[in-house]
Amino acid sequence: MLEVADRLSDNEALSGVAASTGSGGPAALNAINHWVPHNLVMRDAWFPLAHATGVGKKPVRRAIYSHPFFLWREDGVAVASEFHPNEKQSRASSPFTDARGRYPVMERYGYVWGWFGQPESADPVHLPSLPFLPPNGGLPGHMIGTVRFDCSAPISLENLIDLTHADFLHANITGDEKSESESIETFFDSESITMVRTCTGKSVAPVMKFFSGIKQPTQNIRQVIRIYLRSHCAIAYGRFTPGDDVPLFHPCVPETRDRTRLDYAMNTSHAGLLFRHVMPKASYMVSRQDSSMTSPQSPRYMRDTNRKDLHSRFDAPGQRYRMLMMDIANRQDAGDFAYRDDVSADCSDLIGLRKELFRY
Amino acid sequence: MPDATQQEIWWAVARSEEVTARKPLAVDIGEQPVVLWRDAQGTARALEDRCPHRRAPLSLGCIRDNGWIQCGYHGWMYEGETGRLKEIPNMKDQQKFPPVYRAQAFGVYEQGGMVRVCLDAKATAPTLHDDPLTYVGTAHVSLGHQEYLDALYDDPGLVIAIRGVSFTPYLMSELRNQDGLLVMERSCQWKGLHWPAPFSSDFPLTVLTQTHPVSGETKLTLRDGEMNDLLHAVIAPVPAARGVTAIRWRAALGVRHPGLRGAALRGLNPFSVRGTVDGARLRVTRPSASLHGEDLRNAMCAPELTSEAGPLTPVETVAA
Repeated sequence: MLEVADRLSDNEALSGVAASTGSGGPAALNAINHWVPHNLVMRDAWFPLAHATGVGKKPVRRAIYSHPFFLWREDGVAVASEFHPNEKQSRASSPFTDARGRYPVMERYGYVWGWFGQPESADPVHLPSLPFLPPNGGLPGHMIGTVRFDCSAPISLENLIDLTHADFLHANITGDEKSESESIETFFDSESITMVRTCTGKSVAPVMKFFSGIKQPTQNIRQVIRIYLRSHCAIAYGRFTPGDDVPLFHPCVPETRDRTRLDYAMNTSHAGLLFRHVMPKASYMVSRQDSSMTSPQSPRYMRDTNRKDLHSRFDAPGQRYRMLMMDIANRQDAGDFAYRDDVSADCSDLIGLRKELFRY
Repeated sequence: MPDATQQEIWWAVARSEEVTARKPLAVDIGEQPVVLWRDAQGTARALEDRCPHRRAPLSLGCIRDNGWIQCGYHGWMYEGETGRLKEIPNMKDQQKFPPVYRAQAFGVYEQGGMVRVCLDAKATAPTLHDDPLTYVGTAHVSLGHQEYLDALYDDPGLVIAIRGVSFTPYLMSELRNQDGLLVMERSCQWKGLHWPAPFSSDFPLTVLTQTHPVSGETKLTLRDGEMNDLLHAVIAPVPAARGVTAIRWRAALGVRHPGLRGAALRGLNPFSVRGTVDGARLRVTRPSASLHGEDLRNAMCAPELTSEAGPLTPVETVAA
């Protein structure tokens, strides 16, 4: 069940890369063997720039690929500009803003989203579906937060989509690798990829043992990672039996090519009192653990190399992620910025959301 | 990355006590990251400090009871001698992996209290029999490898210190090629009241240094006027990442020198390698021995002379 990256096309079936759509042609192989995530710039996409509660009358500064985004509210409505209101305009406005230097902006799911790309192409239909978040926002403050990663955004997302890393890096929070069975499925289209990891008889996550009162030694887990490729946004949805549902919105905004901002939202509204408050804050610990690996890892992907990464069957989603990202990049290089698939379509069924818990 | 010549060197990248079975040790040879640890038999092992799975440093992982090193990212485990992948924890059903599934292994050789690594895994280790010296230390200096050696040649006081001893600018013997090593002898004085060096007719001490022309590993001997060896030291500078030089050293006292000066030398730590270099002093240090050393080094490392002098394995001579 192992393959070297350059043999992927021969072994796709073995590796578990489900060929539901997509070509996996020569460009895809190139993506795996010559994966330089720092060179990828995704245009014509909505990026979640800030929690809606973090934007007020006073401008706050964000960035996408080093392009400045100043966010503030005018009469309660969020605006995004490439210039600070007090800034003496000494540079020309970019092609991604209008005549006033304003970016298209919209507010949804408790976030202020900025459009990075041709302003005239901005359309709410390209906003990712996040069915576990209230569309008009309003999650309590303890369920949201900000963490940063010293790495490229795709590195951070590739880290997320291979959850076997959690068994080692986050064992003290999410539990070790011991389980009776484990399977990985991958589904994708041209704009998104979804990985479903199913484990039976897995060691109970310590955070659930202590804060949810789980007494059993093992639990069954269904974890879903869904990545909206252009927006660099991920859903991480875990269903633990026995235990709670943990839906996390995990956006990785590429502020620069090697630094990532993550304004997360974990909707633990339906969990027990203690777990509801503690689990979202575990992100601070988990993110530092991730960063301990992705930070030294990232520079090693900054330049192309002939040395190929090794892969196991658990890397099939990560390999597919690389392919899909490179496919979009190639299309955009060729001037094609069109969406071929609908990212705003309700993904509740795909991620296995318990809709009775999240009725919005 | 060290050049082709440096690939064949057995670099003293760690002191023996730094390499344990408890925690991996990260070192560099130039821009090549290396992870060191001891396996279950206590043998020092060296792999590239880069998991071939997702390029995370293996030194951030741990050492298993069976002596394998485990990457801390996804838990892949490697055996030290060959670098072969031995286990992926989430794949209990398959634990036999193709030969290509391996981390890059390097040659390791331990002797005289130093763990030496050769980037060429097939290189033959030298046969040496030196006892470890008592006093030890490690320093990282923000100076390139050759610049560090040039400072050692031109003004040793910039980079090392011997308790109670000051180095003079006067040489008893300038750098020369002796059996494939760069050898020189510098006059020294005891610290304290005496005529300044330019007005002294004789010097009571000398420091003899024997330096490998490529690795820069140096054996240092402090002698008095009676030719008694008062102190021995081995200084092993290794080029590290970002132009830093990592220096491991070991030292031991020799013949007991009588009197207060001898007592001072036998203080807490008679020898040390400076962790910082005085840039202002370094900048105005006149290149002298180092210029000559460069000419000698170029001649010694020239292909036609290499086989004659055998300079690429002079670790043997240094430690002999």
